[in-house]
Amino acid sequence: MLAIALAAACRDGQRRAAADGLDAQPWFVDVASESGLTFTHFNGMSGEFLYPEIMPPGVALFDYDNDGDLDVFIVQGRMLGATPLEQARFPPRDPSSLKGRLFRNDLRVEANGTRTLRFTDVTEQSGVNAAGYGMGAATGDFNNDGCVDLYVTGLQMSQLFRNNCDGTFADVTKESRTESPGWSVSASFVDVDRDGWLDLFVGHYLNYSVDANIHCFGLAAVPDYCPPHVYTPQRSTLFHNNRDGTFTDVTAAAGLATEFGPTLGVATADFNGDGWIDIYQANDGQPNQLWINQRDGTFRNTALLAGAALGADGQAKSSMGVDAGDFDNDGDEDLAITELVGQGADLYVNNGSGVFEERSIQAGVRQASLRFTGFGAAWLDVDNDGWLDLLMVNGAVSQNRAGSGRDEGFALQQPKLLLHNLRNGRFEDLTASAGQVLRTPEVSRGAAFGDIDNDGDIDVIVGNASGPVRLLLNTIGQRSHWLGLRLVSARPARDLVGARVTVFRGDGSTIWRRARADGSYASANDPRVLVGLGDSTTAPRVRVQWPDRRVEEWTNVVVDRYTTLTAGTGTSVTERSGT
Amino acid sequence: MKPRLFLLVPAVAVFAAATACSRPRGAERAAPGSVSLPDLSRASESVKAQLRDSYASLTRTIGAQNATPSERAAAYGRMGMLFMAAEYRDEAERCFVAAQALAPDDARWPHYLAHLYRAQGDAEKSVASFERARALKPDDATTLIWLGEAYLDQGRLDAAAAALEQALVKQPQSAAASFWLGRVSLARHDYARAIGELERALALDRAAAPVIHYQLAMAYRQTGDLTRADQHLRQRGPGEIHPPDPLMQELESVLNSAVAYEVRGARALEAHDWTAAGALFRRGLELAPNDPSLHHKLGTALVMGGDARGAAAEFDAALRSSPTFVKAHYSLGVLMGSSGRLDKAIEHLSAAVKQDPNYVEARLRLADVLRGAGRPADAIAQYEQVERLDARSIEAPLGSVLALAALERYGAARDRLTQAMKQYPTHPVFVHLLVRLLAAAPDDRVRDGRAAEALMRDLLAHEERTSDIDEMMAMTMAEEGQFGEAVTWQREAMAAAEHAGRHDRAQRLAQMLSRYERRQPCRTPWSDDDVQIIP
Repeated sequence: MLAIALAAACRDGQRRAAADGLDAQPWFVDVASESGLTFTHFNGMSGEFLYPEIMPPGVALFDYDNDGDLDVFIVQGRMLGATPLEQARFPPRDPSSLKGRLFRNDLRVEANGTRTLRFTDVTEQSGVNAAGYGMGAATGDFNNDGCVDLYVTGLQMSQLFRNNCDGTFADVTKESRTESPGWSVSASFVDVDRDGWLDLFVGHYLNYSVDANIHCFGLAAVPDYCPPHVYTPQRSTLFHNNRDGTFTDVTAAAGLATEFGPTLGVATADFNGDGWIDIYQANDGQPNQLWINQRDGTFRNTALLAGAALGADGQAKSSMGVDAGDFDNDGDEDLAITELVGQGADLYVNNGSGVFEERSIQAGVRQASLRFTGFGAAWLDVDNDGWLDLLMVNGAVSQNRAGSGRDEGFALQQPKLLLHNLRNGRFEDLTASAGQVLRTPEVSRGAAFGDIDNDGDIDVIVGNASGPVRLLLNTIGQRSHWLGLRLVSARPARDLVGARVTVFRGDGSTIWRRARADGSYASANDPRVLVGLGDSTTAPRVRVQWPDRRVEEWTNVVVDRYTTLTAGTGTSVTERSGT
Repeated sequence: MKPRLFLLVPAVAVFAAATACSRPRGAERAAPGSVSLPDLSRASESVKAQLRDSYASLTRTIGAQNATPSERAAAYGRMGMLFMAAEYRDEAERCFVAAQALAPDDARWPHYLAHLYRAQGDAEKSVASFERARALKPDDATTLIWLGEAYLDQGRLDAAAAALEQALVKQPQSAAASFWLGRVSLARHDYARAIGELERALALDRAAAPVIHYQLAMAYRQTGDLTRADQHLRQRGPGEIHPPDPLMQELESVLNSAVAYEVRGARALEAHDWTAAGALFRRGLELAPNDPSLHHKLGTALVMGGDARGAAAEFDAALRSSPTFVKAHYSLGVLMGSSGRLDKAIEHLSAAVKQDPNYVEARLRLADVLRGAGRPADAIAQYEQVERLDARSIEAPLGSVLALAALERYGAARDRLTQAMKQYPTHPVFVHLLVRLLAAAPDDRVRDGRAAEALMRDLLAHEERTSDIDEMMAMTMAEEGQFGEAVTWQREAMAAAEHAGRHDRAQRLAQMLSRYERRQPCRTPWSDDDVQIIP
């Protein structure tokens, strides 16, 4: 195994440089192969332009072995239908190992701060046998044993792998009743009824089978991938956790069955500020849904009047990746959604009550994103200045639109897009100066965001269709000060996704963040909360609103390190908002 | 890989320089880059032929010693249009750039370039090209509106507004200009102006209404008028509003490919121009005689135009080309069903769902036909499958209820209706049927006059009086033994039916009236003709 050593930065000097803005060092560097994260996605393409080829892979960041660092899971594809492997356009290097891979992060941090990132493929010994045509992943501790479990979505079936807390997993799909047959892409473990147990929302895409594959063509009759509307959408599923290792499909009972579209992205957050988690479904070519939790086991779709169903032009858009985050630091969850080339990404700005105004034009997001077909995306404070930036990974879906007839087999490559928050409701495109790895065109799909080397800034794992995985290490964020929080329940310690954090800074300003693992596209993120503090070294006061609505505070939380905040150990605070 | 054919632009530059004395300065500049035919190996034969012919023509023109710069420009431009129509955008760009260099005063080339860049999502270049086109044709409203849209993409709201206002000066009746000005005003948070412009656009172009309604909804919502916002949202629909653009219309009609004709025909279908759609599909079939999709679409155009026989022939042709073409099976199934050939309908619809088990519409129609053919149990199996596939469909639970009643399983029908009322609270049809069942089911274990009356009181409080409502009330009163009331309500129902021109219904109601007059309750909850899905 190769290892890389990351020298500790002279923090203060480089923080000043970061605070001033750009410097010569790229903001992200790809360290995938040097760190042993060697994986090439195989999409099974054979020249037939089968629809599923252009959709995966999703990726997951989660600490499966509870050693304090993020491990990586990536789905894998296989040949579609009866076409033999020999006819694959780009045959896999190792045909015998065509299944999702789990990489254990063996991060070593020396006393002097030097970090060594090293990944080890532990798939075989882990028992994670995700052998179907994988799409994406979701993570969460569904059985409250303190160990994070893994849900893998796929073309024909999904699988739930229960973490045995000993480095291995068991496939409990059948016994847990979470089979969810059909084409699933994004999923989310989310506690919708605030009973302390994670439920599971599985986003489904299209009714598709290889046997009934429809062949599509460009205007010159050149074969190409089909648009989604040639197939019918499949209903998504909400599974309620029965607290005994099983789930019940409550989709119809919850009111989610009578409105649906072909779902690609899922983000959960409290959009209307009432203390209950809501669900946002981003649908491909059909109106999106904003399911507001009615607090009685049911949901109501308010997306249309809330202004979050359609683009600013009033049309349904392609909507692949989605993330919720407070980019304007006004205390509510805004939405960013990636779209098809020519459509422009969406920026839905929340007014605090779950009503949105689409402001991609005014924010500069539209112009910057028009050239791209975006997939995985997230709000992240790249430079730790306290303001959320936006990173989108891109790749076309139509050969004709992208390749103008180039016969390169899979000519869908596009660069990524990094939009830096200017703190005034606008963004600037900093891709050109953020590192070659962002400018390199690839067919990017899933992206998981998290602090992989635990140095206080957000890194990114990118899954590329029919391409290598990328580990984009953030080299700039840790030059500024930061606050790292892991929000957990009392024993066993489970990440309490959905918990909301308010950081009261020494300068009087306030930052709000949320613990979440979902969002992006078909991917699972680091559930820890990382808050950029810029130049400030003042230990802030931190208030946490737990998913069960209890509110607690901690004072003088140490900066520039991760602190675990356990529910029930802070100072109780009475908050009047919501019930 | 086949050798690429290169056309060396330096020859153009030499020629242009030689004639510089007699030409405007712009024409002296050589076209940058070179234009070549891309890899056409996977294009259709007709497209290959068209592109090769055009390229040969371009080569001849460029090589001709006496060709003027504008002739050369036109040749490049024609080639560029073909490339752009065939989605070879890099090559199209080179052609238009060459044409533009040779004929800098011709607004066509920057116009096409602007659209090319727009399709590629390059707002900056699109704006630059539209600005160039505007400089050449400052009074052209179409260019001004496109430029306004492009500025809006860039977030340049003042520039967008200026361009659109100028367009309105040139074309005061332009719905597109008003619409886009409304969108700019929305972006500026000037909601009063936005509403004004959008309402104006609505008045100018009712056909574009579905698109305008969404914008109006958002504007009213921001002013706090949620009622109006909701009203407009209910009327919204898909579509785009752009200025009439003869240049782009010309470009979109140049490509001689079956797919292009199919796309153009599909647009005509959406516009309900069945004749034009049919003609375009036939053109496509001349190039691809065995294309099942074209046959199917032609069949669709024919059936919409009233030619069922011609349509059936086309659907059959689609199946001869592709025996598993599900849409053709579906369409034939529907056609057979509507003409009473139920066995054939079942055969084709069954084939459709066998080939594509998730084909909800086909399965629903199959269920309906099975029910109509006196096979309600088989119909129920299909309805239930539809419900599993797509709970959005209210036709499936409705069909199930009707089939259960046909099987005299009135208790099951009642239970299904009760469930459907909760599932689809905004669809009154389930309440209506439940009332009828409770009032008139032949099974006295199911009838419950009091429950029916309670439901009726609620309906009367919230729904408009119709013949249907009156009939239901009559049935309920009769079940409760209040035959005098029943007669009164039944007479109202008959009068309403007559008034609505539903004479057959009025006659049926008259038969029931005589039962009420003989103090006999109703034992026929409904006839299929009376069951309507009320939106």
